[in-house]
Amino acid sequence: MIRKIYISLANRSMQETMVNRTSFILNIGASFLIILSSYYLWKAIFAGRDQLGGFSWEEMKAYLIISFLSNTILSYFSEVKISQKILDGSIAFDLLKPIDFQKARLAETVGSSVFEGLVSVVLAFLFLFLYEGVAVPESPITWVFFIISFILSQTVKYGVIYIFSIFCFWTTGFLGVALARAAVTSLFSGALIPLSYFPSTLQKICTILPFSSIVHYPISIYLERMDNIEILGIIGLQAFWAIALWFFGKWFWSQAVKKITINGG
Amino acid sequence: MNTVIRRSIKDRVIKNVYIYFRIFVQNLRAILEYQTDFVITMIVAIITQLLGFFFLHLVFQKVPDINGWTLWEVLFMYAMLYISGGVSSLFFGGLWSIGSLVRRGGLDLYLVRPVSPLVQVLASNVGMNGLGNLVTGGIILTHSLMNMNIAWSVQKGIFLVIFLISAVIIRTSIIMAANSSAFWIRSARNTVPFLINTISDFVQFPITIYPLGIRTLVTMIFPYAFIGFFPANYLFKDTEFAVWGLLTPLVAIYCMMMAALLFKRGLKSYESVGN
Amino acid sequence: MSIIEVRELTKVFRQPVKGPGLAGAFKHLFTQKYVEKRAVDNIHFSIDEGEVVAYVGPNGAGKSTTIKMLSGILIPTSGHVSVNGLIPHKQRMENARSIGVVFGHRTQLWPDIPVMESLTLIKDMYDISSEDFKKRMDFFVELLEMSDFLHVTARKLSLGQRMRADLAAALLHEPKIVYLDEPTIGLDVAVKQQVRSFIKKINREKHTTIILTTHDLGDIEELCKRLIIIDKGQIIFDGPLESVTDQYARERVLHFQVMERVENPHQYLQGLPGCRLEEKSDTHFSVYFDKTLLSASDIVSRFLGAANIIDFKIDEPKIDDVIKHVYEGKLHLDPREESV
Repeated sequence: MIRKIYISLANRSMQETMVNRTSFILNIGASFLIILSSYYLWKAIFAGRDQLGGFSWEEMKAYLIISFLSNTILSYFSEVKISQKILDGSIAFDLLKPIDFQKARLAETVGSSVFEGLVSVVLAFLFLFLYEGVAVPESPITWVFFIISFILSQTVKYGVIYIFSIFCFWTTGFLGVALARAAVTSLFSGALIPLSYFPSTLQKICTILPFSSIVHYPISIYLERMDNIEILGIIGLQAFWAIALWFFGKWFWSQAVKKITINGG
Repeated sequence: MNTVIRRSIKDRVIKNVYIYFRIFVQNLRAILEYQTDFVITMIVAIITQLLGFFFLHLVFQKVPDINGWTLWEVLFMYAMLYISGGVSSLFFGGLWSIGSLVRRGGLDLYLVRPVSPLVQVLASNVGMNGLGNLVTGGIILTHSLMNMNIAWSVQKGIFLVIFLISAVIIRTSIIMAANSSAFWIRSARNTVPFLINTISDFVQFPITIYPLGIRTLVTMIFPYAFIGFFPANYLFKDTEFAVWGLLTPLVAIYCMMMAALLFKRGLKSYESVGN
Repeated sequence: MSIIEVRELTKVFRQPVKGPGLAGAFKHLFTQKYVEKRAVDNIHFSIDEGEVVAYVGPNGAGKSTTIKMLSGILIPTSGHVSVNGLIPHKQRMENARSIGVVFGHRTQLWPDIPVMESLTLIKDMYDISSEDFKKRMDFFVELLEMSDFLHVTARKLSLGQRMRADLAAALLHEPKIVYLDEPTIGLDVAVKQQVRSFIKKINREKHTTIILTTHDLGDIEELCKRLIIIDKGQIIFDGPLESVTDQYARERVLHFQVMERVENPHQYLQGLPGCRLEEKSDTHFSVYFDKTLLSASDIVSRFLGAANIIDFKIDEPKIDDVIKHVYEGKLHLDPREESV
């Protein structure tokens, strides 16, 4: 089913995350800091209010945790690795291998994410434990839908990352592109701020874009703001984006490959 | 017998600054050759900054202030952060290459020349995104200062300049120290510089919203708070922190010394361990 | 009076070692084990000014570690090294003024600016006066035929052009000592020759001491009088080159590619001493011969009338084979000269 090579790529990627202890611990520490700081920011924004932007404080805390999980599970490195390969030319070797580049990078991303993802989840629960009063869904079916939605959201996220990384074929400023992608995704996915804060026209536009499938929709499901029909519709939309982005990524990749094989270097 | 060339410190500094500019200008020329490239980089930087600005705008649509700080006051700190980051990227962007220089041995080439390796590192990369950030940040800063009722005086004016210079020094020093981690953490996955840089995002907002732990982190350990928060307090907030604003230039000097020390230690370690 | 003195020089590296697979990686997070590697182990040699020495060994033998210690980039674990009266790692920048380095696989040039601009930058770094710069540039441009690529950006240079530019860059400040690492690797025959003559000329006229690390025996034969072989951190040979080449490194291989198969190719080598032929395929065959007995043209001429030769090339033996033979004791060489 899944070729052995992809599993070993994922495996190796996972090992690489553990090579340096200090780095590993620092990553975890930094992730913890980041979720902490967004907690304090929103606490100051709410300033004791019960409701803001259509969310209660308990709901907002849940929002922050899920947004955090969404951001940290897929590591920053998948982007950097792809861009790096393009920039230093080692991509030439990848072109020669009988491996699908897109699938290979996905395998590596999954590999490095599994461990870091686990740690993020642990941190999230730690956070929950320290600051109780976080909204939790009432119905168990919600959990099922939520998990499906979350997995789809990560697939969509990977799709976005992959496409943006390929921009490196046309520009050398990959760090800038990566940061811009992160900024755009954060904002329009609802990771940084709930979409309800946007002016209504912008909100409508966002619902069409793939970004909202990354954070906004999973959270809406979690907070039980939709009925089952709507939920199925949303999951369908997420699946659509996941598939669409995958194929667009494939096409975009082939365009980029054409470019190097024609121009060289 | 070998003649040893004794150079005075003044001569050495002049030479190093001269070589820095020579290398910087050449690298700048090289970048300007690839026009689309640097325009994209600049645009991307501007977009990123504007998105952050948009976020603040959205928040302040729903609340009048955060911990007593209004939109323009927060934007002041936001702009200081981006201006300092921009200048850093533009003129000292090479610091971010320390990791790859160490891993791939490019640093050896710098060590074999009779020029300070730090100078060669600093000039080795020109971050055009920095130019975009610098300009946009400058515009936001000007607007925020104009929109606040500040009782300007000559003293405040001078301090504004001092704050800007200190902000650049503090930012660059922290970046230098953070990237020096590459001397010890040889992995290509070293996220220390990136993470330490991300912490700077915390000081967009008044640090009074954070608990003691985070406040200590951005005041004592990575003094990002002296880039925007304490200067803001001195210039227009006039709280008990206003006095701290005066410490800013001293903090800048301290950061510069620590960063230089760390880099030197790192270099020593590189020479012991090789690559 | 030696310009380079090395005594009891040792460099030990500590390398982390982790178990295989995922389990090993995970365990590595908690306990770290190290293994010591003696890259350079108690070596001695001295080199006089003006000598051209080949410093060779298999990969991982300790060559680049030694060179790094000589150039001041690496601090020795123990022992004594002095270059031009200075201790390289203690007086790194001063030492830098009297050495030049050519890294075979890496360039000193800035990739996106014209070669001339790179050289001008180097001129400034080494405080070379404008008159000296002009004089030396004229010298290099003429000898290395650089005029047609002086204004090309380094990225666009061919390997041969880049190597020549790197040589100029390394020698611009007239260093007393030059470390050349694989200077002719990947170059075609004509450029190789040009580079070798250039190096010879520099040594003759400026009395530059040259330390050459290379796997190319042709380089060594043409340029060096002395050979130092290092293997597994220890020097296993230090002496005149003739001792090695006279007894070994005499074999050459000519590879032929022909249009259609030659009938009984062995007949064409009749009467020629000390050679043998191997057929690799219908269109490829190789002739192994002793270069002291025959020349390549002796052999080629035999086939000129008989076969439709599409291409041929000659293999120069690798120093690795020589080292292997020394190590295996197949080579009985003159005893090492002890430094005074």
